[in-house]
Amino acid sequence: MRTVIPDQLKVQLRYPARAVGLAGAAAMVASVFLPWSYGHEALDDVGFTGLPSPLQFVFLILPIAILALLGIPLVGKAKLGRWAKIVAWNTTAKTASLGALATVVVALAAIAIELGGLVNIETGGWLALVGAILAAAATVFLPDSPEPTLSRVKSPRWLQITAIVVVMAIVLFGSAYALGMDDAGAFLTLAALLVGIILTLRQFGVFGWLGIASANNNRVLVMSAFVVAFAFPFTQNGSNANMSIAAQVLIFAATALGLNIVVGLVGLLDLGYIAFLGAGAFTAAVLSDSAFATINFHPPFIVTVLIAGTVSSLLGLMIGAPTLRVSGDYLAIVTLAFGEIFRISMLNLDGSDGPNITHGSAGIPGIPDLNLFGFDFGQAHIIAGIEIGRFANYFWLMLLVMALIILVFTNINHSRIGRGWVAIREDEMAAEAMGVNTFALKLLAFAGGAFLAGIAGAIKAHHDVSVTPEQYVFLESAFLLAAVVLGGMGTVSGVLIGAVILKVLPEKLRFFSDYRLLLFGLLMILMMRFRPEGIIADERRQLEFHDDDEELADEIEEELITHHAHLNPERKGFEL
Amino acid sequence: MNKRIYSLAGVAVLAASLALTGCGARTDAGTGGGTATKVAKIGVIAPLSGDLSAMGLGIKNSVDLAIKQANASNAIPGWKLELAAEDDQATPDVGKNAATKLASDDQVIGVVGTLNSGVAQSTIPVLDAAHIAQVSPANTNPALTKGADYTTAPARPNANYFRTCTTDDVQGPFAAQYLLGAGIKKVATVHDKTPYGQGLVTEFTKAFTAGGGTVVDAETINPDDDNFSAVISKVKAAGPDAVYYGGVYAEAGPLAKQMKGAGLSVPLMGGDGIYDGNFMKLGGNDGDLATSVGAPVETLSSAKAFLDGYKAAAYADGYSAYGAYAYDAANAIIAALKTSLASASDAKSAREGTITALASVSFDGATGKVGFDKYGDSVARVLTVYKVVDGKWVAEKTGELK
Amino acid sequence: MELFFQQLINGLSLGALYALVAVGYTVVYGIVQLINFAHGEIFMIGAFGAYATWVLMGSPSDWTATTSLLVLLPMMIIGGMVASVATALATERFAYRPLRGAPRLAPLISAIGVSVFLQELVRLFFGKIPGMPDAKSSVPFPDIAGISGATITLGGVIIQMPAIFTLAALAVSTVFLWYFVNRTKTGRAMVATSQDPDTARLMGINVDRVIMAAFAVGAALAAIAGVAHGLMNGNIGFRMGFLAGLKAFTAAVLGGIGNINGAVVGGLVLGLAEAMASNYLGTTAWKDVWAFVLLILVLVFRPQGLLGAKVVDRA
Repeated sequence: MRTVIPDQLKVQLRYPARAVGLAGAAAMVASVFLPWSYGHEALDDVGFTGLPSPLQFVFLILPIAILALLGIPLVGKAKLGRWAKIVAWNTTAKTASLGALATVVVALAAIAIELGGLVNIETGGWLALVGAILAAAATVFLPDSPEPTLSRVKSPRWLQITAIVVVMAIVLFGSAYALGMDDAGAFLTLAALLVGIILTLRQFGVFGWLGIASANNNRVLVMSAFVVAFAFPFTQNGSNANMSIAAQVLIFAATALGLNIVVGLVGLLDLGYIAFLGAGAFTAAVLSDSAFATINFHPPFIVTVLIAGTVSSLLGLMIGAPTLRVSGDYLAIVTLAFGEIFRISMLNLDGSDGPNITHGSAGIPGIPDLNLFGFDFGQAHIIAGIEIGRFANYFWLMLLVMALIILVFTNINHSRIGRGWVAIREDEMAAEAMGVNTFALKLLAFAGGAFLAGIAGAIKAHHDVSVTPEQYVFLESAFLLAAVVLGGMGTVSGVLIGAVILKVLPEKLRFFSDYRLLLFGLLMILMMRFRPEGIIADERRQLEFHDDDEELADEIEEELITHHAHLNPERKGFEL
Repeated sequence: MNKRIYSLAGVAVLAASLALTGCGARTDAGTGGGTATKVAKIGVIAPLSGDLSAMGLGIKNSVDLAIKQANASNAIPGWKLELAAEDDQATPDVGKNAATKLASDDQVIGVVGTLNSGVAQSTIPVLDAAHIAQVSPANTNPALTKGADYTTAPARPNANYFRTCTTDDVQGPFAAQYLLGAGIKKVATVHDKTPYGQGLVTEFTKAFTAGGGTVVDAETINPDDDNFSAVISKVKAAGPDAVYYGGVYAEAGPLAKQMKGAGLSVPLMGGDGIYDGNFMKLGGNDGDLATSVGAPVETLSSAKAFLDGYKAAAYADGYSAYGAYAYDAANAIIAALKTSLASASDAKSAREGTITALASVSFDGATGKVGFDKYGDSVARVLTVYKVVDGKWVAEKTGELK
Repeated sequence: MELFFQQLINGLSLGALYALVAVGYTVVYGIVQLINFAHGEIFMIGAFGAYATWVLMGSPSDWTATTSLLVLLPMMIIGGMVASVATALATERFAYRPLRGAPRLAPLISAIGVSVFLQELVRLFFGKIPGMPDAKSSVPFPDIAGISGATITLGGVIIQMPAIFTLAALAVSTVFLWYFVNRTKTGRAMVATSQDPDTARLMGINVDRVIMAAFAVGAALAAIAGVAHGLMNGNIGFRMGFLAGLKAFTAAVLGGIGNINGAVVGGLVLGLAEAMASNYLGTTAWKDVWAFVLLILVLVFRPQGLLGAKVVDRA
């Protein structure tokens, strides 16, 4: 962040600024023990004296961090030693202060809106605001510190693994806590707070360090991520409300991952991807034991899933074979048209405009729950004293499917096929000239992506209980694409984050739902304009979108070098 | 030197864990106040945003009105009723989440909704598993109450599901009888491929052909398309005396206008989906017809209570097409609660009893007689045919379907 | 046979509408190789602009046929053009221009965003403009004396005046386009830029301005189509651009994308195909399916389109 304040002034003012910043942080700490609001209905009840609410407790992290960041350097440069350079003390304090200010503003706005007017804000609230403004203003006047070098600090393996586990545990309980919030204002405040904390940690250099730690312990990372996801239902105490959303997020994310192969790796824009999900869902529905099923053939679910995947991939071949020979732009529109053909066909196969397969717009309801190897997905099970309901069962099943998809995705990404795909994405003609069979590879990606969507669709049919054509409209394809674009094309974690954001935010911010699509459109435009590579960028991809940005190219190169320095012990790195 | 970073990390972890463990203790303290009267909630699942929000908000407001009136008259002594409205965005997925959310709220005892039959298919099983009654003001798909083989072997799939609106097999035949009675023997049908429109046309066709009429042409339109010229040309070539349309006013109005423009000057008839003032604004012509459930509102004293109450409450949105049905649905639940909550200690334990009590509810509501048959369908058989005269709907004939 | 001719007229008038919108896709694609996914929404905004003009003129409903045709209708068309051209230029400036040179996926995704954004903007905020009706559901389009409801009967076939208006508008627009492209400096600069943007730039052509001109021309024709849509169908709505845009794009590909005459021919062929298919191929419910199947068939057997594309694959 650049400021217009001259450096000289900053140096002159560094002591008073530090003092003011410390005072502001102290004020914020004190404020949580005073009531923020007059009534008890706002946020998660911030009207108590001496007893902070959970939200206020989490908020405490920021002012305490500011106190530490501004206070510790007071021991003097000599005592700090190398740590003077490892941590960007001043800049991190500035980020934390701005994050705290943003959080307080959101919180106070929420209080004012929920209780009706600024009069409802009590001393604590005003004190927090004044403190945050002081801290933010003061830290802006501190001299900028050099980039943190925490990421270069060597650390023992046990510490790295512990750190990963701790982060995962925080993710688990944090998401359970956030999902449990009913109050939109509290949820927004928490969101602002989390963004503030994450940015502060990033400025501190924690993510650089964590990135290297997780690269060194990739398996631990993946395993612990799955353990955390697996453990999530246990945090819900038998409640279905959030598990229903969580299961939907996974179905959506699995579909988006399939799309990510097509769009992210090969660079083929598919605007009718939801049709493949729908084809899988309808196939599973007509083959299910539902009273509305129209085909009198009810194979076990394992077979149904494979049939559903195959039907979807055959459709993919049908639509891909003619269009993949021409330019990619055509593909976008043809797939869009295909999505419409699919929807209209499902509507028309109702017995009056065509053979009765789908019951038209009424769709196929009453699809029974899955029963795999005697495990009834419709029943609640008690495990370790905690009730695991219907949606949690589907959540676990989707987790398994997801693991499979991620396995396929990462393995292919680093294989000959994956390299061929990326080559096609970057320059199709050059790839062809180098002997890559572009048509076959594109077709493989297209049909493979459709297969994955078909599998997800088959499970979705049972999870949803009913399948209707109106679930598979263009807007859903656009949402899938948005998940891929928002999170980061070509990355697994990015797409997961994109899916979570797109599915959870609308559920939690229901008062906003009329403006949901407006914001969605705006977000797509702004993302393409300012961060086309997504929240989590694939490195190759990032370079592609910013090929004129030499600074970024150097940065990535440097990162790669330091990365290798850690992997190769012969290279000299920092010793802890 | 490295001790310091450990202690720093320690502080961070400690702070985080402190914050998380802090959750439990405090929330208990906050809600421990206790209330004098017990609370039961009536949920609403309807599209409160998006294209169909006008109808969804009408449903929500009407339920709100019924709850407020019940609380004011202390209809259920010792209990206070509250509204828990959830948006379904007219999508099954979102509707299912809304139903799950309501089902996991122990105070919710009954739900009014949904608008769309497709969404209901997703919400009914969720609410059924939690033994919560769902009363729909607007679902017309017969399969919801009578199962997959509703014509040959009706069987009720979910005991928790009721509806106050009439199904297609009441409105369609009533329209057919009216047209046959008016001497119209040749009709073309058009529908919009929604469950509502298709159901109406199917039931209409059955009754119309059974009564001696002929359907000379059967067409469909795509609601996304505004140009119906190809369909109209085909209909016109078949030479019908009237067109029966299954769908809502948004397409029916333009269809009527384009029919007239193409020189097809026969009346267009539809169900309660076109019985709306906007039908004429969008092109409905004098002589067009619509059926709607119940006797005309002006003639019913029970309907006046609803209309006056709605006006007095000054809601921002009108009660729209399904407000009166939603008002009746909420009052049916409230009537059932009088029995089920009388001896109940909390709302959750009375859920099952509410479903049982709903089956025998009977009173005069805003749309006429409210009560349910053994499938959960409305027993109302009184319908009215309305006709457009000088740009306004005028009651033409009220009768009972035999 | 009467039905055949009736459907012929239906198909031609529908096709003329598609053609007017398709020109916008084709000129923009010919110059910047961008599928302007939001062009359907430009068409929709043109219709709403015309409607707003009518309201601003005091919602006149009792004007005579002559004054309606000579004053009211031209004013509405101009109003629609102002709205659609302004929107098109704004999207070009803020959503597409910054992405020039980025990988081709980027502007296409941005275009989807623009499309959703514009639809929602009209749905949520058109009614907030003082005097305008709520646009959350369809808005009835005003009747223009002399056109709305008027018909000509030719041997049993009824031809509606709005259909004649649409065909006439297409004919006038085609002549105007021919003149613009071949006889004006900007038009010839457009041709030059579409053939080789780099050389065009070296020859002193302001490429930015040429691109803006392409967007403006497409938007102006889309506004005419918007008025024609309102007159033919009697109502307009925020969703009207989606399907029409998709069909118009199909028409552009059918004729050969990048080829202006191709867009006109493609539009007429598509409209005819749709009308005939609803009469002779199964029930009317399948007509949209046939239109899109036609698109796929063209791509398989004649990817350069009926009249040949200026650019088939320069990617």
